[in-house]
Amino acid sequence: MLQLVGRRLLSTIPTLFGVLVVAFLLLNVVPGDPVAEMVGERADSATIVRLRGELHLDDPLPVQFGHYLWGVVRGDLGRSYITQRPVLGDLAERFPKTLQLAASAMLLAVTIGITLGVLAAIRPGGVFDRFSMLIAYVGVSFPVYWVGLLLILLFAVALRWLPPSGYGGLAFLVLPALTLGMRSIAFLARMTRGAMLEVLPSDFVRTARAKGVAERRVIGRHALRNALLPIITVLGLDVGNYLTGSILTETIFSWPGVGRYVLLAIQKRDLPAVQGSILFLSVIFVLVNLLTDVLYAKADPRVAYD
Amino acid sequence: MLRHLLRTVNLFDTAPSVLFLCFLAACHGNSGGGSNGYQARGLVYYETYDPRSLDPALSTDVPTGEMVTLMFDGLTQFDPDGRLLPGLSDHWTADRTGQRYVFHLRPGVVFQDGRPLVAADVKNSLVRVLNPATQGGRVWPLLPIAGAADYAAGRAHEVRGIEVLGDTAVAFTLTEPLAVFPKFLAMPVASVVPSPLPEAFAQKPIGTGPWQFVAWEHDDYLRFAKNPKYWGGAPESDTLTVRIIPEPLTRVAELQSGRVSVSEIPFGETKKWESEHPDWLKRKPALRNVYVPLNNARGPLRDPRVRQALNHAVNVPEILRTVWNGRGVPAAGAIPPTLGGSDPGRKPYAYDTTEARRLLRAAGYPDGFAVQLWRSGTNVEMGRVAQAIQSQLAAIGIRVEIVSRDASSMREAVRKGETDMAILDWWADYPDADNFLYPLFHSASFGPGGNYSFYRDAVTDSLIMTARRTVDQAAREALYRRIDDRVFAAAPWIYLWFPIDMWAEHPAVQGWDVPVIFNGQRWAKVHVTAGR
Repeated sequence: MLQLVGRRLLSTIPTLFGVLVVAFLLLNVVPGDPVAEMVGERADSATIVRLRGELHLDDPLPVQFGHYLWGVVRGDLGRSYITQRPVLGDLAERFPKTLQLAASAMLLAVTIGITLGVLAAIRPGGVFDRFSMLIAYVGVSFPVYWVGLLLILLFAVALRWLPPSGYGGLAFLVLPALTLGMRSIAFLARMTRGAMLEVLPSDFVRTARAKGVAERRVIGRHALRNALLPIITVLGLDVGNYLTGSILTETIFSWPGVGRYVLLAIQKRDLPAVQGSILFLSVIFVLVNLLTDVLYAKADPRVAYD
Repeated sequence: MLRHLLRTVNLFDTAPSVLFLCFLAACHGNSGGGSNGYQARGLVYYETYDPRSLDPALSTDVPTGEMVTLMFDGLTQFDPDGRLLPGLSDHWTADRTGQRYVFHLRPGVVFQDGRPLVAADVKNSLVRVLNPATQGGRVWPLLPIAGAADYAAGRAHEVRGIEVLGDTAVAFTLTEPLAVFPKFLAMPVASVVPSPLPEAFAQKPIGTGPWQFVAWEHDDYLRFAKNPKYWGGAPESDTLTVRIIPEPLTRVAELQSGRVSVSEIPFGETKKWESEHPDWLKRKPALRNVYVPLNNARGPLRDPRVRQALNHAVNVPEILRTVWNGRGVPAAGAIPPTLGGSDPGRKPYAYDTTEARRLLRAAGYPDGFAVQLWRSGTNVEMGRVAQAIQSQLAAIGIRVEIVSRDASSMREAVRKGETDMAILDWWADYPDADNFLYPLFHSASFGPGGNYSFYRDAVTDSLIMTARRTVDQAAREALYRRIDDRVFAAAPWIYLWFPIDMWAEHPAVQGWDVPVIFNGQRWAKVHVTAGR
């Protein structure tokens, strides 16, 4: 297993280098000038020319890229053009908050989604099955933005049970986590139901029942465990997506996470901040994928990596 | 697929339940706003995005400018109505030519760390803004000072136009007379900072202003405590929190649940608020105009008759009423009606498609022509205005293609003169007609300077410069009227309207007023009434 992890980690280096090159080129092709964003609406041309020179924006692209790469190798993601603060520090400040939101959303998704799916699969076509599939459809088809605002209207403005937005204790976490996790709840519920329906008629389930194993144990231990593989796949992809920024949810709920940081950096053409964020988030994505693969092997001993 | 779907969910059951959920939410949304419970501790304001810095030298965006205004003072300042007031300088004199100013410091002012303010602090602060190493980006308000441009370009070792007169006065010599110079000194970038600068100044600033810095959680909030020794009298409230809330509808929800003190009302919510909470609302004509710069150096738009035709073909009052919810007044010129130099007697271009067609024929375009109208993809209201203009110009044969880009790309194209038309707004940096003429119409301001229509007229240029040099206020305003008249006739823009800002103040909050200029509200006279 360790060997696998080591090998996979090594193979990420060219991937990340590719990400850096593409990000760098794209940002330099896109119109818009970081200095124009920096100086604001009214500016004198002399200042713009001088600042472009000082930020080395007029150097040839390979030279600029070389500078940047040298910094990255030394663990320095550079300073934001706009705020003049180190990009790595900015990311380190925001990432735990994104992690917190993603983890809560995932927790909701796993508990609610899998429970709904299992319960729905136990009696297909029953009342509970319909109810949970309704939730699944609603969750998949309603846009995050709309659901987020609706939740704010209901729970914050009308009922006043929860704060509308902001970062703080558990109360602040509920609505954004639900909004972000909604799609996963829906997806997992459908996924689990499907996988369970496939597993439940199998011979080993019938054998377990014949042996007199309690139904709860049959479902939880024997059937669900075998239905887990596709669920882990979905979870892995979702975690990756959540961690790399949930811009809409963070915006609606004023959540100070990585997503909003990247968005503002892109709007302001803050090249070091955008490049640094992309690199950082790519690393996270790769790590989460690796973790998913490891979990595969844990969940199903038949999966072997050689 | 469809059969599967129908089997899994009974659609006939689903639809009513979803509708019921929506109904429930809508009902609660209406009834919930009526309560007056203020839940926040102290005053709470918001910004739409995290300030760039808290260092005045870096204040190039509105959030930074507003935060700097809370903690720092300039020699002069603005009140919410945009009037110029004494700041750190309690009085100043100008010589007869308007080229040399002497600012006398208010006695007894101390920085928040206890050290007294001296005249050298003023000079050091301004020199620091001009210093190329600062990389602030906004030096233009200080460039009128003699020697400032050379220093900013690294050609000189000091700014010869700033002279420290003992501990209590500073003299400025300008390259040429400039009547609005005291207003330049009220801009956030000209705030006075202590020298030498304390450590980590951009993150933990120290100023002389009404509020002291307490904490800054990036993208989340900034917290301030009142400065009990503020020279203008300690603020009435103990704390002020500034939250970062990017989404307009969330801001309104925060206001309704009593967790922010004031909020701007989004356009889509105008009618709802006017009917439900008229007593919460505050309106004020903004120092801003919404306009379409026509590229005067490109294609058919070079001909003034074509530009006039465009003005006659757009039904401004109708667009204002339908798309903008009536939150503005049609523009008959570039100078907002609340500023000296605007002409209340001048009439906007009349909506008259016959006249528009006649002008087009006279210009040699009887069948119209094709143009592009650029808009920022993130600004929904402006996008709707663009569509309205597109459909109205189609009536006189002008085929408008709307080009939607993100704000940064659009700004670059507009500044380089690569667009025919764009839909923009212009916000005042300082409340003076000069701010609506020099950047927008002087040929020295082409592109980044603000003249996005590339309007060039030697007479206008020279009149603007004469007005800048004119010290007598009445004579200056008469000149502004003349300039605005002349430019208006040449129609370098499609003149749209001057917006009226609409904000709501929570009933538990008192003393707040909509500032016409972003740095006109210092929150010192605002407080929360009893009944938290």
